[in-house]
Amino acid sequence: MTLIVLVTFFVFALLGMPLAFALGLASLGGLLAGGIELSVLPQRMMHSVDSFPLMAIPLFMLAGELMVRGGIMQRLIEFSNAIVGRVHGGLAHVAIVAGMMLAAVSGAAVASASALGSTLVPAMRESYDDGYSSAVVASAANLGAIIPPSNAMIVYALMAGSTVSVGGLFMAGIIPGLLLTVGFMAVASWLSYKKGFKLTGAAFNLRHAFKETGRALPVLVMPVVVIGGIVGGVFTPTEGAGIAVAYAVIVGFFVTRQLKLDDIFPALFDAAIGAAMVGALIAFAAGVTFIFTIDMIPASMASLLQEITENPTVFLVLVMSMLIIVGMFIESNAAYIMLVPLLAPVAETFGIDPLLFGFLFVFNLVIGMMTPPVGVVLFVMSGITRIPMGVLIRNVWPYVALQYGVLTLCVMFPGIVTWLPRVLGY
Amino acid sequence: MKPQPSNAVPPTKGGAFHSARNALNWIDQSTKYLVISAMVLMTTLVVGQVIFRYVFSSAIDWAEEVARLAFVWAMFLAIPHGIRRAVHVGIDALVVRLSQALQEKIFRAMAIISAALMVIIFGFAWQVTLYTWPEMMPTLQLTAAVYYIAILIAAVHSVLHLVLFAWGGRDTWEGMTKS
Repeated sequence: MTLIVLVTFFVFALLGMPLAFALGLASLGGLLAGGIELSVLPQRMMHSVDSFPLMAIPLFMLAGELMVRGGIMQRLIEFSNAIVGRVHGGLAHVAIVAGMMLAAVSGAAVASASALGSTLVPAMRESYDDGYSSAVVASAANLGAIIPPSNAMIVYALMAGSTVSVGGLFMAGIIPGLLLTVGFMAVASWLSYKKGFKLTGAAFNLRHAFKETGRALPVLVMPVVVIGGIVGGVFTPTEGAGIAVAYAVIVGFFVTRQLKLDDIFPALFDAAIGAAMVGALIAFAAGVTFIFTIDMIPASMASLLQEITENPTVFLVLVMSMLIIVGMFIESNAAYIMLVPLLAPVAETFGIDPLLFGFLFVFNLVIGMMTPPVGVVLFVMSGITRIPMGVLIRNVWPYVALQYGVLTLCVMFPGIVTWLPRVLGY
Repeated sequence: MKPQPSNAVPPTKGGAFHSARNALNWIDQSTKYLVISAMVLMTTLVVGQVIFRYVFSSAIDWAEEVARLAFVWAMFLAIPHGIRRAVHVGIDALVVRLSQALQEKIFRAMAIISAALMVIIFGFAWQVTLYTWPEMMPTLQLTAAVYYIAILIAAVHSVLHLVLFAWGGRDTWEGMTKS
């Protein structure tokens, strides 16, 4: 059955069929080959989507939509400008800091890419070249999936079953996320200096910085409320996402006063469609996972990998290398859905900390969102800014290399990932 | 599978195609409000549950179940809208190397095959709907089959979109604003 599943999936996927439908056909082929009653298919589809934790995804997407429409983005940019505007590549730093803060209130790199790309790239192109501007913003957007909340981590936790908690993964992302932020800023400064871009932005002024901090405060407090509430056990991640929506509505209507009633319906609809993309993948992949379980693929994979190596670090390096290649070709959500149920149990048999494995898995595929030929963040950035993919790919590599560097650091020093969640009791 | 405008294939779209497209656009507008209503219900219940727990120290016992039902409806009903907007990602690295005419043919063929998948899913979801009909939801006097009705609607709506894509090709929605 598994062979039929794999062949069907790859044939249709390579012909350009949406991955969700290719997975659906693969499930169908596998079930037919195994002589299994086909009514299993809709049942599995329903069972996989009917999940309270999964509901956090449309809610975080909705919160993001409402924040962009409510002028919260603008406040974050003005705040960042007051703090880091006057250095080499000032606007690039503004983009990175704004990206980090946007990441702390929304859950998706793709949503961050469209929010940051449409607001910041036009201004950056006046001072910098196209490639530099779009590469910086794409990197800043990628923080969206590393710094909590993160939809990618929610999908991972769901697929890994009860071995990791969403809250624990969220906490694991904070220190590597901050490392990346600082690293991106250093790379952006160095490139700006090397390319001879002139300084932009007004000189640092303490009074102005205080004023902008005050204006941005309602937004800056939001991650403390949402993430703090989830980590403190006040509410579940899904409820936290609901609170984020309520918070975004209140800030948009009463603080920035830029959110209009007319914005609500489009925000709800766009969030639903964005989440349904993930939902469709999960639903259609459910049949495939079912077949893999019947064929005992996770167990055979575990014994196969244990024959190759008994060393957990070698296993981790093997998985990470495989994910780099997977990340180049397959959309990350599809990869979580297909590979986490196979690899997470194997990692456990190797005695690898589930939180560490989970974070590294997510981080690796998030970097994959910036690697050609299939890099969704690059597609979105190129689509919004009309900067050709080729220019983007040529400029984005220092940031991609930096991310792989931080990933390697995390493999070598797992404390970077696990220290904070362990201190907080995960 | 990204619907991009192509000039390589001569337009073969007559009045019948435009009528079909307008009819589907009308269906899209109607189900759009179903999706939005489900999202509103889901969000209100999730937030309401937190407020009830901390402000009134009580819980609404049916809130989580209805929120999940609304979520399932929103997700499945939004899938066909995603087809129209081409948000369901695919791998086009190989296909883009082919000629425009061949790309167009493959796009249409994939749409037809996907439509066939949806027809099969509809058939089996129908069976499941029928035999879960007598079951009740745990907290509500409502048949548990309501979950599967979302799959039925999504399958029919998706078939319509995929067949229209097979008919009109990648520029099917050219000149129309997004739903």
